[in-house]
Amino acid sequence: MADHDEAAAAAAPPADWHRLPDRARLPSMLTPMLPFAIPGMAGGFVLAGVFGLWFAPPVLALVGLAIGAWVGLKHHRNTFWRLDADGLAVRRGRLWQRETRVPATRVQHLDLKRGPLQRQRRLATLIVHTAGTRHSAVTVPHLDVDDAERLRDLLARPVEANDADDDA
Amino acid sequence: MSWLFVLLQQLKQFVLPLIVLLVFGRGDRNELWPLIGVGVLVVLSLWQYFTYRYGVAGDRLVIRSGLFERSLRVIPFARIHNVALQQSALHRVFGVAEVRLESAGGSKPEAQMRVLKLDDALALEALVRHRGATPTTAAGEPEATTLLALSFGEVVRLGLVSNRGLVVVAAAFAAIVQISQRAVLDTFRSIGKWLFGFVGEHHFGVLQYVVSALALVLFAIVVLRGFSILLALLQYHGFRLSEIGRRLTVERGLLARWRTSASWRRIQAWTLREGTLHRLLKRRSLDVDTAVAEEHQQQRALRELAPIATPAACDALIEHLLPRAGWSRLDWRALPASNWWRLVVPAVPVVAAIAVGASWRFGAWGLLVLAWLPWAAFVAHRRAQRMAYAANAEVIAVREGWWTRHWRFAELDKLQALQLTRSPLDRRCGTATLHLDTAGSSALSPPLRVRFLPHDEALALYASLSRTLARRPLRW
Repeated sequence: MADHDEAAAAAAPPADWHRLPDRARLPSMLTPMLPFAIPGMAGGFVLAGVFGLWFAPPVLALVGLAIGAWVGLKHHRNTFWRLDADGLAVRRGRLWQRETRVPATRVQHLDLKRGPLQRQRRLATLIVHTAGTRHSAVTVPHLDVDDAERLRDLLARPVEANDADDDA
Repeated sequence: MSWLFVLLQQLKQFVLPLIVLLVFGRGDRNELWPLIGVGVLVVLSLWQYFTYRYGVAGDRLVIRSGLFERSLRVIPFARIHNVALQQSALHRVFGVAEVRLESAGGSKPEAQMRVLKLDDALALEALVRHRGATPTTAAGEPEATTLLALSFGEVVRLGLVSNRGLVVVAAAFAAIVQISQRAVLDTFRSIGKWLFGFVGEHHFGVLQYVVSALALVLFAIVVLRGFSILLALLQYHGFRLSEIGRRLTVERGLLARWRTSASWRRIQAWTLREGTLHRLLKRRSLDVDTAVAEEHQQQRALRELAPIATPAACDALIEHLLPRAGWSRLDWRALPASNWWRLVVPAVPVVAAIAVGASWRFGAWGLLVLAWLPWAAFVAHRRAQRMAYAANAEVIAVREGWWTRHWRFAELDKLQALQLTRSPLDRRCGTATLHLDTAGSSALSPPLRVRFLPHDEALALYASLSRTLARRPLRW
């Protein structure tokens, strides 16, 4: 596959894009593991039921776990964020690239989430809410805590300035 | 007398389960126990109703409710996006209305007055319009100007182009199946028997078969369209779009009447549609999105500015409500039509699968399914040639479709977030897709996105849009 190319992946981010910290690798890998393992196991049970392959469920579950971990690794490597004068931009994916931009004036409210593993590794997930429909919540997973708090404070500032009451 | 209304309205929710219980219950006394529960619920809701009070304090509405658990809610008039008056036929007999005040977001209306005298309801609407300042500015009440009114003929046309009849048939079918599955099967069987018996007795030739089949199809179409027209008359009779000050009001309905009003500033995005039948009748329809909660209760939100109108009338309406956008002078830019084949790609696996299935079942005849592909390619080609977008300092607009066309546009001030995506195919063709997000867009309205945009053009548009959005405050 084309996205195995390590050199190209490393060359992708321009100077002012930030990548996720290295200690976010493990949580990033864990996140998609279950969603891949469960269908694997379900398929395994079907195989076990139909063909009597008793070893299918655990094997396929393990395969699912491995694929999930690999996908998570890819996500971790291909997630970049950037804050500039216009607002926050998040770039994700390599095969299917998508760059989402939330202008600072459009931020409605912000969430900062920290799971146990994230707390242990000083990471946080930032969720930026807009009033939109399809991109009403833009997530930046597993940021460095200090970065996340800085982002939250910077993005929250226009919300307060902006909220002078307007006409109906 | 209003308690009667509340009681009826509350009972309406329980009537169906009660009837089901009484009719299908096995005559056991225990079946009547739930009645007590129903009674308690009715008393509770009546209680709720009689403890509901509203008042005005300056520029805000204050609502007090509950007797044991008091709750006090304060809503600034400026935050109310939508005022909906609903009158069922019964409401109209007694000259009352149900009022809902809605702000953006949330899943419930901010305030809901179950029964209000029509005068009071209209006064409340006026209060919202003037943001509570009625007594002093009553003299300066601006006149309502009618922007669009549908005549009887237009409503019939609306019924003709809509597929609402299908909904009626589907609902009737579902209801019959609910009541008895046997009845449906028996009906089908007897109709089939009658038809085939008829055919068997008379030994028709091929021509007669074709003619009778065509007649049957025609009959079905006429019946469906008849239902559509009937429904359109019920829902849209007396449709009137009017403007009072800065608010738009839509009134419609034959038996039950709806009256919705919202500030035109609350409009988030616009959709202009033109289907095949529309084109035949030289009509279009104009819908808008407003950021109001409860997207499944579409009849309450201000959604349809012009259910059906001539293209000129639609354009005039847009020009009137978006004077700075210059809708009729937009500089449309075509998207490269060389990408037409990408519109066929999604159909290929489906057609292939159907062809395989059909040839497995019918032999070589099944391969006829593949004839769909040239047609799909033709349609894709035409579609690709019509795809275009336009952007100026005020609006961004996208045009798509060939058989059924739509224009989708929004003011830049109403855009919420931008997304630039590139699939592997996009990278190969040097294109990108720009998605623009607005508030309150329903799942049915087409997305506001520019596909097949050359990459450098996409990057430039993306950068300039994000700069513009960052400079302009959100006004929604």
